Amino acid sequence: MKKLLAASLGILSAVGGFVDIGDLVAAGQAGARFGMAHSWVLLLGVIAICAYAEMAGRIAAVTGRAVFDLIRERLGARMALVNLVASYLVTVITLAAELGGVALALQLASGVPYLLWVPVAGVAVWLVLWRIRFPVMERVFGLAGLALVVFAVALFWLPTDWAALGRSAVTIDDAGQGWGAYWFVAVALFASTVSPYEVFFFSSGGVEERWSAADLADARFSVLVGFPIGGFLALSLIATATVVLKPAGVTVSNLDQVAHPVVLAFGGVGLAIAALAFFAVTFGAALETGLSAAYAAAQYFGWQWGKRVSPREAARFHTVLLVSVLLGVLLLLTTIDPVTLTEYMLIISAVALPLTYLPILVVANDRTYLGDRVNGRWLNVLGAVLLLIIVAAAIAAIPVAIGTRMGQ
Amino acid sequence: MRIQVSRELLDRQLVDVDGRLVGKVDDVEFALDAHGVPYLRTLLTGPGALGLRVGGRIGRMLVLTAERFVTDRPMVPLRIPYRLVARVDSAVWLRVRAEDLPTSPAEAWLRRNLIGRIPGAGRAGG
Repeated sequence: MKKLLAASLGILSAVGGFVDIGDLVAAGQAGARFGMAHSWVLLLGVIAICAYAEMAGRIAAVTGRAVFDLIRERLGARMALVNLVASYLVTVITLAAELGGVALALQLASGVPYLLWVPVAGVAVWLVLWRIRFPVMERVFGLAGLALVVFAVALFWLPTDWAALGRSAVTIDDAGQGWGAYWFVAVALFASTVSPYEVFFFSSGGVEERWSAADLADARFSVLVGFPIGGFLALSLIATATVVLKPAGVTVSNLDQVAHPVVLAFGGVGLAIAALAFFAVTFGAALETGLSAAYAAAQYFGWQWGKRVSPREAARFHTVLLVSVLLGVLLLLTTIDPVTLTEYMLIISAVALPLTYLPILVVANDRTYLGDRVNGRWLNVLGAVLLLIIVAAAIAAIPVAIGTRMGQ
Repeated sequence: MRIQVSRELLDRQLVDVDGRLVGKVDDVEFALDAHGVPYLRTLLTGPGALGLRVGGRIGRMLVLTAERFVTDRPMVPLRIPYRLVARVDSAVWLRVRAEDLPTSPAEAWLRRNLIGRIPGAGRAGG
């Protein structure tokens, strides 16, 4: 029973770590514009994040070192510093987008304009990071995030044409929107599923909770169950947008539209559940991105980090944490639209993806670190193919974004 | 103990006897013994050493940022005699406690002037 509980808690963390503002926006836009035609991207993204999170978790458990430690060891001080600057910027912009998501969820629930909620969200995120114990925070938000299942339920409530939905999931079609826009959304959706902060956070969490080789099976289990559940929730977002928004010709420019199918199915109750779910996943992701930004810096420089020691003893780590949240808030207070910010965030994350994933693949094959726990042959084939796709997405991101003027 | 300095020592995490993180091996220093044979004398850690190794504009920016936290310039890296190293695996484990080594100036400054002043700074989050 205790083991079952521990396993389900791990799964909750993984679900909480998967869905965030990027998924809400990208999945909503994909469904509203192209129907189910991006399902394969989501599937590919889930496979990629599972494979690479497993590697990062295994490295953390066997060596006690988190991802950015390895990036510095493998790339050397100079290249890793360039990587750190890029990763930090991407992660802080992601943090800003998540804070914007929190504010939009609160606007959805209260009707009070989101900009007023931005400072509140920033302070709340920082307070939780300062005060709340690590496992508690990720499980609470993971559990609340499961409320997204209301989107899957809504599909059964609405007059869904399941046969048509299934057919459109297996046919790749630009739905008259142009192939440029199709690939723009594909890159954004892929980037949202394999966000680098997910592996920074996952591996640092493993080091923090002192995983050993004995915990490896549990860690692997949470990844292989939790991330696909997250993927299923994202797929149900695409599906509801396909069924409700696409026929009506609605485009997604705010979280209101993403929530609309649920409101149509369940009215005010649906709105409340959707707002709660949006709040939980974006708040949880804001915590994770904030921590990840600080993890990356601390692990590059070798500072004391983590929530096991008091903030006094990890002053530089907590300073970076504080500054990152502040930067996120300031970025939003420029009144940049959070959904637009999310779109830009996804494109620059796509560009930065190889910076995180290449070193993981290299170290996962290094016997001096992992002994006989290096990647097996099939995982390497899979990892290499996925890396090619990641590199392709990174190369394509900017040309596609410019060529389509951000997917128009 | 036979070690490839560039592959197994540089850029590794320094950890004290209690598992506290002390810094990275930002650089190393060799010396000659009585017979003229070079040996690894010191591990260097801190932004001063790192900045020099990174080099270029980005390295200088790193040093300049770190120097804002110290009064004596140029800033000196923390020097750890190699005999204090207990073992080297995925990290470099020291025989001493972090408290017995000089604290990084940036850490000390931020502890004193920013983080230490916020209520609850002395409590571990768990």
